[in-house]
Amino acid sequence: MNEIHQRRIFDYLVKNKIENFIGVPDSTMKYFIDQGFKRKKVLITTREEEAIGIASGFALSKSNSLVFMQNAGFANSISTITSLVQLYEIPLIFLIGWRGYLKKDAPEHMKIGKIQPNLLKILDLPRKIITDKNWKASCNWALKKLANHESCTLIIRRVFL
Amino acid sequence: MIRKEAIRLISKKIVGDVIVSANGYISRDLFEVNDKPTNFYMIGSMGLASSIGLGLALQNPKKMIHVFDGDGNILMNLGSLTTIGKLKPKNFIHIIFDNSSHESTGGQPTSTNKISIDAIAKAVNFKVFKCHSKNSLDKIFKKIKKMYGPIIILVKISKSKKISRRVSLPPKKIKARFMKSLQS
Repeated sequence: MNEIHQRRIFDYLVKNKIENFIGVPDSTMKYFIDQGFKRKKVLITTREEEAIGIASGFALSKSNSLVFMQNAGFANSISTITSLVQLYEIPLIFLIGWRGYLKKDAPEHMKIGKIQPNLLKILDLPRKIITDKNWKASCNWALKKLANHESCTLIIRRVFL
Repeated sequence: MIRKEAIRLISKKIVGDVIVSANGYISRDLFEVNDKPTNFYMIGSMGLASSIGLGLALQNPKKMIHVFDGDGNILMNLGSLTTIGKLKPKNFIHIIFDNSSHESTGGQPTSTNKISIDAIAKAVNFKVFKCHSKNSLDKIFKKIKKMYGPIIILVKISKSKKISRRVSLPPKKIKARFMKSLQS
């Protein structure tokens, strides 16, 4: 996804009452995160589970959060998603990079990239791939889920090496 | 002191303020000795009580947020201490009940009797207190009333065969009444 859209997505979500952006960085979405740093709205954590815990504390206080991570971090997070987010029905937006989407990514991303769509499916996490073309509609879809107190996932594909 | 007694004594000192309690016997004890809507019982997600507490502390600066944690729990999420230490929330009090074991899974040892959690906590900007008795508990709680967080209180507890019943509230109910209590 190009730089201008990544920055616009961040601004659009802030405009629509997402107050906290918490996570572990991913170069796939580095302009999105950079926009958050410019606006002083990003909190970087040591691990993805920690980010979800902090975002849950905000959600319990009725403050909306987005949690960002690589798909390697998504794999780390599965237990937290099932035993915190889904068990207590805590509404969060996840933004997950999709390494291993291309057939020739670095070797450490290949397996998780291959199973990522199925993992999201069996977790029952509603998901959409966000692109340069559909970004606004995808954000609106996620915001609507959150307004209905549901969690959901936006995926950014890694289309360059 | 055994954990249940320490949890009873400390929770009685925390009137009207939030407690986030870690999974395992800590939430079970708190539920049994002092159940209140301002308690958030974390049932799964081991290690994350301190992180949930941090989110609450940042969003509710006028409320004191207490985390009831275990030694096994904090060792699983030591990184959270660095994040809390970086942000220095003034209203964050982290109470770690330390019996150097994973008691609810059969008493397997943790490393807390061979390393120094208090030195780690001090290095990442916490004010640290160590408690070995009921008497020192009273003194520490008097002292911290005049202090800003983040504060860690390490409470050494002994193992016990007294086991509290499971938290019988469904998680959605725990959440709903907790959220309501935050609004008041």
